[in-house]
Amino acid sequence: MVRQNYTAVVERNRVWQGDFASEPYECGWASEAIFFVRKLEVQGLLRPGARGRVQISPDGMRWCDEGTEFYLTPGEDRVDFVRVRHFGNWLRIAGTLPEGAQARVIVYLTLKE
Amino acid sequence: MADPCCAPPCVDPRLSKFDPLPRIVFYDDFDHGLQGWSELIGNYEDDLSTMLPGYEDLRPPMLSNGTMWDTGSAGSMEGNYALKLATRPRAGHIAVGIKRVTWRHRGPIRLEAYLTFKPEAAELRLSETDVRAWGVLFDIQDAEKRWMPHLRYLNAMHGQQVAQWQFKRHREPLLQIGGSGKTRSHFHLAPTHWEEVPGGHQILCYNEIPTKYNWHYLRVDLDLATRQITHLQCNDRVHDLDGVEPMVMPAMANLWCMLNVVFWVETDIDKRAFLYLDSVLLSGEWA
Repeated sequence: MVRQNYTAVVERNRVWQGDFASEPYECGWASEAIFFVRKLEVQGLLRPGARGRVQISPDGMRWCDEGTEFYLTPGEDRVDFVRVRHFGNWLRIAGTLPEGAQARVIVYLTLKE
Repeated sequence: MADPCCAPPCVDPRLSKFDPLPRIVFYDDFDHGLQGWSELIGNYEDDLSTMLPGYEDLRPPMLSNGTMWDTGSAGSMEGNYALKLATRPRAGHIAVGIKRVTWRHRGPIRLEAYLTFKPEAAELRLSETDVRAWGVLFDIQDAEKRWMPHLRYLNAMHGQQVAQWQFKRHREPLLQIGGSGKTRSHFHLAPTHWEEVPGGHQILCYNEIPTKYNWHYLRVDLDLATRQITHLQCNDRVHDLDGVEPMVMPAMANLWCMLNVVFWVETDIDKRAFLYLDSVLLSGEWA
């Protein structure tokens, strides 16, 4: 059997400003994951300080920082990513954009067994 | 003398809980992955923002082992994983999963599934009216017509239990998308114009708290030749289909022999609603 691999679009055409968090996604079958964040449109300045962090959860409702963080680069239609392993069952990304900044994003969660 | 291969000790435990027609088109046991089920998206041109609003965010399906905050992993009906559709925590939001195939004979087909539905266990109360509805629809086209049987179980509306099977034959407006003249879209899952299946009141096994799941059997038969829904069954109840009709519209470009199967779930309050599918089997009858 080949290894399972699946990409979920956990956010699409979603506008982020201030605090943001992606919808919870169950993926306990996977052993590795990459979040890709593609910015379709950016308003204001993402730098300094525009970054996200990976979060894990025991129940899909209560979230902990996993410890991995990533920066959101400023350019439109650029893709940022963050890798994570050993995450249990639920995954999401969360973060905060600087005041006055706004980004319209697609977030992919690419999973592999 | 019975065929020894069909004797009870040799029954395939995965299939014996179904009543398929002679040809199996697909059998999806979600212990083996997502099996070709994906998120539904509306039609668009040039920019995602041209999509009809109802189609913008129908959520990706996922594999769930039914992990509860209070009791851990429940697993699925057979094995560990089920296909899970999850809404956003916003009243009226819908999550939709789709599988797209084509048909090869205009005859009987049968969809069977084992499934269950629950709200997110975000509160320590019964929550039995938090899921508004779940349902199944087909999107089919032959040489003359595109037709779309829609069936849903309306669990609750505005906090009141309904527990009623419904169908929808009303066509929503078909709107132009973008400027090419080639792309159109209609939001057929709109909450309006649902009608009651006659005698279609049915209480299902919700159980006593949100973290206890019971799996239900669903069977829907269609006749592709007559464009009729011929059987609706949930657990022990076979429903009267007198007057139950699909949506019907003229055939459209690029959809010849289309046979799409769609499940969805809708939340009644600002809390996520979940539909879980343990397994899905589509069968048909042809020579």
